[in-house]
Amino acid sequence: MSSTPGPHSLAFRVMRLCRPSFHVDSPLRVDPLDLFTGEDLFDDPIAASQLPRLFPQSGNHKAGESDLTYRNRFELQSPTDAMGLSGLLILPQAFGAIYLGETFCTYISINNSSDFEVRDVIIKAEIQRERQRLLLLDTTKSPVESIRSGGRYDFIVEHDVKELGAHTLVCTALYNDGDGERKHLPQFFKFVVANPLSVRTKVRSVKESTFLEACIENHTKSNLFMDQVEFEPAEHWSITVLKADEHSSEINCRTREIFKPPILIRAGGGIHNYLYQLRLSSAQMKVDGSNILGKLQITWRTNLGEPGRLQTQQILGSPIARQDIELQILDIPSLTVLEKPFLVHLNLNNQTERNRGPFEVWLSQDEPREEKTIFVDGVQKLVLPQVEALSSTDFKLNLIATRLGVQKITGITVFDTREKKTYNPLLDLEIFVDAD
Amino acid sequence: MDRESHEEQTLASNLQALSFLDPLTNRFNSLNDLCYEISSLQDLASRGSWRSIMDKVSRARKLSLLQKPHEHLIYLSYNVLALMKLRKFGDAVEELDSLEDFESSQYKYESYPDHYPNRSGSMVPFVLRWLHAEIPDRLGKRQETLDRLYTLLDFIRTKLKERESKSIDFCIKRWKKREAFMVNSISSHHLSHKEFGVCLTLLLSLLDVDSPDPVLLSKLGYIQMQLGDLEGSKASFNRVENLMTQGNSGEFLDEVEFKNLVSRNKALIYLVGKDYISAVREYDECIEKDPSDVVAINNKAMCLMYSRDLSDSIKVLESALERVPTVALNETLVVNLCSMYELAYVNQADTKKTLSNWIARVAPDDFDSSCTRV
Repeated sequence: MSSTPGPHSLAFRVMRLCRPSFHVDSPLRVDPLDLFTGEDLFDDPIAASQLPRLFPQSGNHKAGESDLTYRNRFELQSPTDAMGLSGLLILPQAFGAIYLGETFCTYISINNSSDFEVRDVIIKAEIQRERQRLLLLDTTKSPVESIRSGGRYDFIVEHDVKELGAHTLVCTALYNDGDGERKHLPQFFKFVVANPLSVRTKVRSVKESTFLEACIENHTKSNLFMDQVEFEPAEHWSITVLKADEHSSEINCRTREIFKPPILIRAGGGIHNYLYQLRLSSAQMKVDGSNILGKLQITWRTNLGEPGRLQTQQILGSPIARQDIELQILDIPSLTVLEKPFLVHLNLNNQTERNRGPFEVWLSQDEPREEKTIFVDGVQKLVLPQVEALSSTDFKLNLIATRLGVQKITGITVFDTREKKTYNPLLDLEIFVDAD
Repeated sequence: MDRESHEEQTLASNLQALSFLDPLTNRFNSLNDLCYEISSLQDLASRGSWRSIMDKVSRARKLSLLQKPHEHLIYLSYNVLALMKLRKFGDAVEELDSLEDFESSQYKYESYPDHYPNRSGSMVPFVLRWLHAEIPDRLGKRQETLDRLYTLLDFIRTKLKERESKSIDFCIKRWKKREAFMVNSISSHHLSHKEFGVCLTLLLSLLDVDSPDPVLLSKLGYIQMQLGDLEGSKASFNRVENLMTQGNSGEFLDEVEFKNLVSRNKALIYLVGKDYISAVREYDECIEKDPSDVVAINNKAMCLMYSRDLSDSIKVLESALERVPTVALNETLVVNLCSMYELAYVNQADTKKTLSNWIARVAPDDFDSSCTRV
């Protein structure tokens, strides 16, 4: 229904009611003693004792006495007055930005600007998104009997924002005006919902643990206080949160009693990282196919605790595919000396249900020669006999290191000569090469 | 007019009563011994009559009424403060530019042995250094102000070290006060740019864990609340309340002030929990104990508005302006009232104009009337 043509007696006014803020400024307030004396005058002991008495701090004004001057705009009562944070709250002065996960709250008032009373007012407030309308307020069942000339009716409505993009607050009034004519007044207030955060995840598997690194980036114009960031693991997974150790200089025990530093992500691109360790809690160790690790639940707050809540989609771990062939290190010398051959004991495990092999094992030469520092000493290819289904065989590689320091044994390649299948790289190992 | 002159007399007679006739210290008998007609400048400042201050300074200069070097500096300080209060920042910079470097021997007592026998040290009023640091920010050069303020903090700490090493206790108190003032002033700049982390670190360094200032602790709570750490702010407010029940405040606040501080903190917790009725109840208790508790009055009006009671929220603010204009008339309260008018009244422009006219009659010179958005 479109607006009834002609002038309307009623009009809507809206004001977004996000939470108020503390007013902050840099007040020009001083201690008068520092204004009419030279700064070093107090080095004189007589001055130091006499001067404060000459000017009694009007100080803490006594309740009940009214101070008829504007002294408090000029004088400091205490040094903290200079902080400019009096505790006065101030109403939001602009609509501001609105983000997914927040609650949209608004004060709606409908005013009668005509000279006549208006009757039987049916008021509706809805949020319109593309083709959907969500009803927030409807007085159809109990219409407002009358709004006098110059009078007003007020509402506060709230809506949890769950979609991105353009939204419209549609306010409609159906009423009988002064002439008895039934009129329809729609008014539209548009706003756009943006995305507040992005979450990037990285999953790494190390032995029996899976590590999940989550990086939260703040796209809003405010600093976001991370009230709660919780990982809800999927079935079969248990979770531990890993936190970095604090630097010893940051810990001041006594102020710690009072005050725990908040996790605050800077506006416009600030990030914060979270690290979780997940373990499979059920007996099933390796399951084919992709696996769901769980979801991240994020609750943030802005001024005066204004909350926002989001949940990520399911986060996936790396697919745990069963490997046909697995290599394991059984033994390696504790000391490796430059240019002295050393033996690495390895185990080759055939995890398939068929006999495999025979195999050839070598260190691949894919990387440029200059970068390789560990070589096979002696015959470059090692031949291994067939390995039966679901069993393993041990062997030794004779290696030699050509450079000092931390070096990598890399590129161990296993070639199944029957199936003509190459498995690599199967294992990377770091060792320390010492001088003689 | 009558009220003004009566007050002037009261002020003068108070000072009379405090003067001593000690032959050794006759230089500190009364305020006016310190500097030509300083009590009059003080009086004008506390009324917010900054234009009158500028007139007085100008007249004193024209008629060469100031005879001592330190008097020129003090009058200049009042003038710069007045110019800044009246938001004439360009003129304030000109005044400051007319000065030599603060460390110049021109501003040392010992350079004028005839005027100041046996006196040495700097005659620069500390406030002048601070105003010099603050002014770039008002001209859009925020970084310059921060640099100057941090340098000034360093300067204060150097002075403190010098005096602490010589154990000159009586002036250490003054420099410590200046240090606290400086840290708070720097914090205000960080706060207005929402640099909360730095702020919290600075203010925590001021906190004496053994006998904490309940006002400082409360303000830490407000900062925590502002950034969204509600649990943190609750903990800070609880500490303040414990201080009160332990009877531990003495020098900071008197009983009513302390009770009201704790009540207002409680009200804030109710407010963020959306329990506006309980918040209003706390604020009402505060106002009953201290009818000029403007923070309670203003915040009570906020609670009423958030409870959909726009009419009463307006009434609370209007009645405060009528009852206790000298405390209630501040830019924040007026901004809130005007926002409420804009929502409530069809003829909001007229209502704001009426308010604006009243303000023009009653307000001090430095009141920023752009807050009415008329």
